[in-house]
Amino acid sequence: MIRFDHVTKGPVRNLSFDLDRGGTAKILFNSEDRKNLLFGMLAGLQRPETGKILFFGEDLFAHGENERLALFRRIGVVPAHGGLISNLKAWENLLLPAWYHRGLTAEQAERPVAEIFDQLGPGEAGLKQRMGELPGQLSLYERRVVALARAMLMEPDILIYDFTFAGLDRDAVQQLMKLTGEFHGRKAGRVSLYLCPDDAVSARLVVDSTITLTQ
Amino acid sequence: MTLINPGRIGRAVLGTGDYWKGFHELLFYSLRRLGALGKPPVRLVFFKQIYFTGIEALGAVTVIAALSGIVITTQITSLVGQNIALTAKIMLWTVVRELGPLLSAIVIIARSSSATASELASMKIRGEIDHLRFMGIAPGDYLMVPRIAGITLSVVAVTFYFQMTAIVMGYAFAAFMGFMPFVKSITGVISTLSMTEVLVSLLKAFVFGLVISITSCYYGLRASGTVTAIPRAATGAVMRNLLTIFLLDGIITYAFFV
Repeated sequence: MIRFDHVTKGPVRNLSFDLDRGGTAKILFNSEDRKNLLFGMLAGLQRPETGKILFFGEDLFAHGENERLALFRRIGVVPAHGGLISNLKAWENLLLPAWYHRGLTAEQAERPVAEIFDQLGPGEAGLKQRMGELPGQLSLYERRVVALARAMLMEPDILIYDFTFAGLDRDAVQQLMKLTGEFHGRKAGRVSLYLCPDDAVSARLVVDSTITLTQ
Repeated sequence: MTLINPGRIGRAVLGTGDYWKGFHELLFYSLRRLGALGKPPVRLVFFKQIYFTGIEALGAVTVIAALSGIVITTQITSLVGQNIALTAKIMLWTVVRELGPLLSAIVIIARSSSATASELASMKIRGEIDHLRFMGIAPGDYLMVPRIAGITLSVVAVTFYFQMTAIVMGYAFAAFMGFMPFVKSITGVISTLSMTEVLVSLLKAFVFGLVISITSCYYGLRASGTVTAIPRAATGAVMRNLLTIFLLDGIITYAFFV
């Protein structure tokens, strides 16, 4: 489902890996710059100098903008800072792609979103109250939860987590790891790729394969 | 030191060339992708834009239109006396042909052009345009199409409202001051008004709306780098819009009325 074929760009040299249907993997970084570079390539923003990046067997950079957008409808991305649209309220952000692509209304989304929040534990009741806030008024954790729920509502085949657990407290990390793990298993063949800092928190994340990009 | 700096002239010419190229690209993109308005989230942005550009501007437009109407009728009656037919003609020339579209456009440039350019510029700098792509949403469809359609429609509606307000308030003031009877004056305007006059003024408003919206999107979306690009985008959009509006006003007036 995700394949890096001898990808080289800047400090990322000759990177190859293959993540098959149903697989989970984490890529560990000791440099945020290197992570940003790899994330830029995964997101189709930066073209590799050599090599290919394939999603669902299709070269990410072989197509035009429209084909790439169609590809991203099947991929959920959870950016490190949430990647929320600043002039939309948290709830509008959460609903945007599902409303845009699947015509999911606020009423229809209420139940699945409540389920996601409930999985985060009873402490998240306050988060529901903050859905009317703009992203600038949310904490980092809240922005990530909104981004996570936004990606999950689309039921993607591939989920890319960009430093999702970094900089959060122990309980929050525990809850998010549990939530992403359970979400992975809910659809057969789903692929989860975690970009993580090379630290003790990331070591707790259980995945099928680990790639280290620390050299 | 020479008065004419070839480098500066060259940069200005290249900048104008880039602007017109970008303008046409955005114009054709919007026309091609107008169907995106069928998607509910895009439609919501479109309605929000109409509310912000059209409805929220009505207060300022009402005051400016009423004062313009009062000043113009006062000036006309001081020049031609109580000649209802001539007053109606001059009123139409000034308010319907020129001031209505121009002043409405200027109010909207001051309010919405700078706001749209700076909003899009800040979204671009914060990487939100890329985040839309991660969601499989074409940024042009979601951000540009509803703004261009919303601003253009608002300029047409606000221009019509400006013209009506200026004429009614101008004649109401003249009647109040005892210069001429209100109903007779309004009837004089209606009988003098031709379809060409109305259509050309709406054409002007439509063209101005397109220019204002596309220019604002162009300056907002080309911003990059640091936060200083945000005020630069807003100022650039306002200045370019003002220049283009006055130029187009002259061209359209010349084409239809000379």
